[in-house]
Amino acid sequence: MVQRVVRLIVMVAVVSLAACAVTPGDMSMPMEMPAGDPLKGSAAESLWQMAVAAREQNNLAAAGRYLERALYLQPESSWLYRELAELRLREDDPQSAEVMIQRALRLAPPRPTYQAALWQLLATARMRQGDEQGAERARLEAEMLVRRR
Amino acid sequence: MVMPGSIAKREGAIYCRPMSKAKKSPPGKRSPARKAPGRAAASSGIGWRRLVWQLMLVSLVIGLLGLAWLDARVRQRFDNHQWQLPARVYARPVELFSGREMTAENLDQLLTLLRYRRGDAAREPGSYARFNGGVSLYTRGFQDSDGGEPAQQIRLLIDSQRIGKLTDASGQPLPVARLEPLQIGSIHPGHSEDRVLVKLEDVPPLLVHMLMATEDRSFHEHHGISIRGLMRAVFANLRAGQMEQGGSTLTQQLVKNFWLTRERTLSRKLTEIPMALLLELHYSKAQILETYLNEVYLGQDGGRAIHGMGLAAQFYFGRPLAELEPHQLAMLIGLLKGPSYYDPRRHPERARQRRDTVLQAAASQGLLDDKLLSYLRNKPLEVVPKGGSALYAFPHFIDLVRRQLGRDYPAEVLASEGLVIHSTLDVLAQLVAEQKLSDFLVPHTALNGAVIITAPDQGDVLALVGDKSPRRAGFNRALDAQRPIGSLAKPAVVLAALQQPTKFHLGTRVTDGPFEVRMEDGQVWQPKNFDNQSLGAMSLTDALAQSRNQAIARLGLDAGLGEVIRTLQKLGVQSRIPPYPSIFLGSLNLSPFETAVMYQTIATGGQRTPLRSITDVLDRHGQPLARYPVRPEQVFDPQQGYLLQWALRQAMIRGTGRYAVAQLPANLLVAGKTGTSDGQRDAWFAGFSGSHLALVWLGRDDNGDTGFTGSSGPLRIWTSIMAALPQRPMRLTPPAGVEMVWLDADGVRRSGQGCEGAREYPLMTSSIPQQTSACGKVQSVPGGVKRWFKGLFD
Repeated sequence: MVQRVVRLIVMVAVVSLAACAVTPGDMSMPMEMPAGDPLKGSAAESLWQMAVAAREQNNLAAAGRYLERALYLQPESSWLYRELAELRLREDDPQSAEVMIQRALRLAPPRPTYQAALWQLLATARMRQGDEQGAERARLEAEMLVRRR
Repeated sequence: MVMPGSIAKREGAIYCRPMSKAKKSPPGKRSPARKAPGRAAASSGIGWRRLVWQLMLVSLVIGLLGLAWLDARVRQRFDNHQWQLPARVYARPVELFSGREMTAENLDQLLTLLRYRRGDAAREPGSYARFNGGVSLYTRGFQDSDGGEPAQQIRLLIDSQRIGKLTDASGQPLPVARLEPLQIGSIHPGHSEDRVLVKLEDVPPLLVHMLMATEDRSFHEHHGISIRGLMRAVFANLRAGQMEQGGSTLTQQLVKNFWLTRERTLSRKLTEIPMALLLELHYSKAQILETYLNEVYLGQDGGRAIHGMGLAAQFYFGRPLAELEPHQLAMLIGLLKGPSYYDPRRHPERARQRRDTVLQAAASQGLLDDKLLSYLRNKPLEVVPKGGSALYAFPHFIDLVRRQLGRDYPAEVLASEGLVIHSTLDVLAQLVAEQKLSDFLVPHTALNGAVIITAPDQGDVLALVGDKSPRRAGFNRALDAQRPIGSLAKPAVVLAALQQPTKFHLGTRVTDGPFEVRMEDGQVWQPKNFDNQSLGAMSLTDALAQSRNQAIARLGLDAGLGEVIRTLQKLGVQSRIPPYPSIFLGSLNLSPFETAVMYQTIATGGQRTPLRSITDVLDRHGQPLARYPVRPEQVFDPQQGYLLQWALRQAMIRGTGRYAVAQLPANLLVAGKTGTSDGQRDAWFAGFSGSHLALVWLGRDDNGDTGFTGSSGPLRIWTSIMAALPQRPMRLTPPAGVEMVWLDADGVRRSGQGCEGAREYPLMTSSIPQQTSACGKVQSVPGGVKRWFKGLFD
């Protein structure tokens, strides 16, 4: 445990220095449905689009219902879990959001940009729960993925 | 204060005094009255008239006061009336989409339960037609928190046990559509009214015309009472010498139902008439008629009073009112004369005669021609058997819904507010679970059982069976049987060990051999294996897969009793866990439901998801009131969760669950664990695929020997259930932080593939041994900088 903490401190210091070399633009990760996500072209896509429309109208209950239905149709979609995570964050439920992001990560296609965005979202969910160390670890993972891109 | 009555008395006394004097007067002597007879008579007449006037005035005042009181009563009740509407519970609506696994038999089952009418075309909601390779149907539509679904005509092709194509009526592809959810119950604690509200515009016009033809032909002409109808009733009663006919208009009947008692007395009639007049004065005919149609009493279902035509249509015919045929409408109207006397289930002949009378009355009013009348009179009653209704089909699942609702809503709200409850019940999965349990237990009359099926990702309870006779309400074994879980506790022991990755991994050797533990109270615990043998050293994976008691008990002691208890609690066990090592082997009483909660966390790889039976609650107008979204919590690291799933997969491949792997399709990856309590009093199996977690328990209510182990009983049922459900294999892709590593036979060194005794295990990065064996080409594992980084995330 001590060893992990020491590693983390060193890591944070190194990344903080390295961050000087990273332009802010590198961290602004586009959040689009990644190629390879099985949602694309499936019957569930229409439900996701309805969820987006409901969310834009601030009808979060309906948006949640659409997304759950979409997941019933397409349970292997990382993107749908990501969308549900965002919704949970808007509903001020970062704990559930974290679980959804973990699922999204497990199903994520091998796209570093997309995965980095998920880690960034995970950092936000953890931060909102007061888990600063966990948030930092997630942010580091996101940054490593960005560099690997 | 002088009351009107006392004035009359006093005046009477004054008036009478001269009369009494006159009586006492001797004959021949004229009394003053006799002296002036005209004056006295005039005085007497004036007195009577005054009295009459005064009495009339008093009566008028009383009458006006009474009328005002009745008027207030009528208006108050009518304006503020809240229909008593129990909460209604609906199953999960069936999603239809291209690619969905669904056989033609599945679709038939659903359409039968929903009482769709088969015809040569789907022309109206609730009807369907078959065509070559597919079905055309007209859904009924419903409301939901996402806005719901419109009634629509759709066509679907079924190809190789899947929905091949889904289109609308014009042939345009539809991405997704839903069948309306099946109502599976209503929450009405104790004695209460139940109804399905209908709007007048949704009531079949023929029902209204038949109602008037039978009950009140001059409804649109009278003002609340019908003199002609009243006279007819008076003559009929005089002829019979008793009260036989009421002669009431529909308005009077509504007054009687709404405000008065059902007894036939003169005083009630005298109250009923002005109230009917007042009702007609304030409200339109349409309002009165709509209220009548929703209020009228039409039968009894145990403690539930069936009110209104809407519910009666469901209760007797299993269909919405709008879908009933003329002879069915006539039967409902026939019931008005006496719902108990003409009960079509108890007295079908009486009900039929009465129905025919109504049809005849309708024909005499020109509503039906002779040909149609003759056709309808030849139709059977077509009442659905009471036990065949889905409303009573799933009492144990409804029990769960009621308990979960009871946390958020008081009983009186559930009984009266008309809440619409969307539940998670998957009707097809429920029917499969019931069937497989019952089939297995046919030759074992002393045994009973429980089955729970959930969707791991959502935490939805898809099916819940608490009795081998699933329609029998009563002891709900799924929720209330508290039984030792036996070896179903072992994964918790393994998980407690895996949370100490530097000490344990899936290749760690544990000894399956005799040992004893002396307890604080002096008792000695000596765990034994089911086969009374000890197999010596074995990997932690094998100890779990082969359900070795001594090995797992040792592991539990090494991992720590406290750690195991904490792990059980994190998995979702809320019952008290006794702090004894015997819990490692399942000396822990849990209900099947609580055990399913525990395995739900395992099936999601460490995400505890409260099991839900409700997704949404809407108000009586279909507006969303509450959502019950999926709210999981990550309680174990994904890596630890994965390792346990992998070990439970091994239990299916080479351990106690081998039977299932042999029976199920090879590409269906499943994992699970058997459990058998002492003396084989309880036999369990809990296991999961990617889409379903199912738990099966077998036992006897007298706690006797079942004669089964987890493998020989529940596993068989479980396998047949899983084989009958549309499945998705579990995911066995290792998450970040887990590597597949070959270890030597001792499980302490990395080894080359194919070396004697070497086996491949998934290991957390921090568990991977640095030492290598001298055998074969040992794979490289993350080391140096990579391992250093990985250590951050383990």
